[in-house]
Amino acid sequence: MLLTSVIIVLREVLEAALLVSILMSLCFKLGIERSWFKWGVLGGVVGSIGLGSQLGFISSLFGGIGQEVVDAGLQIFIYICLLYICVEFINHYYQRHAVSGTLRAVLVIIILCAMSREGSEIYIYLSAFQSLPHASVSLYSGSIIGLGIGLSCCALFYYCLLSFSLLRTLILGCMLLTVVASGMLLQAGKMLIQADLLPDGQLWDSSAVLSEESLSGQLLYALAGYEATPAPAQLVLYLFGVVCMAAVVLTRYWHWQRRKVSAKVAGYEE
Amino acid sequence: MTAAFRLVLFAVSVLFYMPAIAGKPEFEVAIRQHLFEPSVIVIPANTKIKLWVSNEDTTPEEFESYELNREKVVLGGQRSLIFIGPLPAGEYPFFGEFNPKSAQGKIIAE
Repeated sequence: MLLTSVIIVLREVLEAALLVSILMSLCFKLGIERSWFKWGVLGGVVGSIGLGSQLGFISSLFGGIGQEVVDAGLQIFIYICLLYICVEFINHYYQRHAVSGTLRAVLVIIILCAMSREGSEIYIYLSAFQSLPHASVSLYSGSIIGLGIGLSCCALFYYCLLSFSLLRTLILGCMLLTVVASGMLLQAGKMLIQADLLPDGQLWDSSAVLSEESLSGQLLYALAGYEATPAPAQLVLYLFGVVCMAAVVLTRYWHWQRRKVSAKVAGYEE
Repeated sequence: MTAAFRLVLFAVSVLFYMPAIAGKPEFEVAIRQHLFEPSVIVIPANTKIKLWVSNEDTTPEEFESYELNREKVVLGGQRSLIFIGPLPAGEYPFFGEFNPKSAQGKIIAE
């Protein structure tokens, strides 16, 4: 029970906390106030309990594939929100301005959705098994260890990102957000395949090189949605995610670069 | 191709797709005392199947398989549907994430 609790909680915490640490470090470097964080976490806790307690009803939706549809929907929604966030971060880098209410709201919504997805499973697990005799001590101590390891990994990640210069943190942060967001599309694809809304298949099997069960496999899963045996539909979604996000981010970057150059030229002419 | 024609094409393809969903072979697996029963499920290779997972325990379980790329929480007393395949012939282990030591099984596609 102890080890199972550590693994379950660690797996769920890592995924959401890695995303939060990337967003937090970028906000810190860009001078964006971080009051949204506490509201996101609060919303995430409420969302986890809400989603977890309603899972029976959600599962019965759409002829028994409600769980998959809601999970895929949340992940696609987070991808779109992260796309917006990357653009806003680049805008903020070139032109510091007061943080808009929309940006704050989107940050809260991302944390809320990411935490609810992961937290609902922890809520279901803890609420169901705490009533078993002799289980609660190992259940809670395991969960606290799992939570501690997950949060420590993310704190380390957060401070690593902060150690770079502003421009490097921005570039690295946008690249990481692209990987995380595209990984979410890959996982959404997995859910849609499980619900029979996308075709299944196996492109390759890399489990001999990097097993999903191994520690590095789990870390890569949390960061980039790693699958040892991806389906063609998942790869298409992943590539679409990367290309789309990279195109939007680079277009925004070039837009500001051009403006900088034309402003310089205008300055010389005067 | 007009938008209306595309809409008709989509509706027709959905209509043709619906019987395909209904026609998939169905298999059952139960969870009792944190064990899968039966623990070995033999399914036809290269065929998409519907696997119904009935959790007869009062506690929830997560049906999980790295080989099958599947994960689904099944609450206590609930019956859940998971689509599997089409799979090439072989063995595909699965386990219950909440009770990984006892809840283990495999799907054999042949």
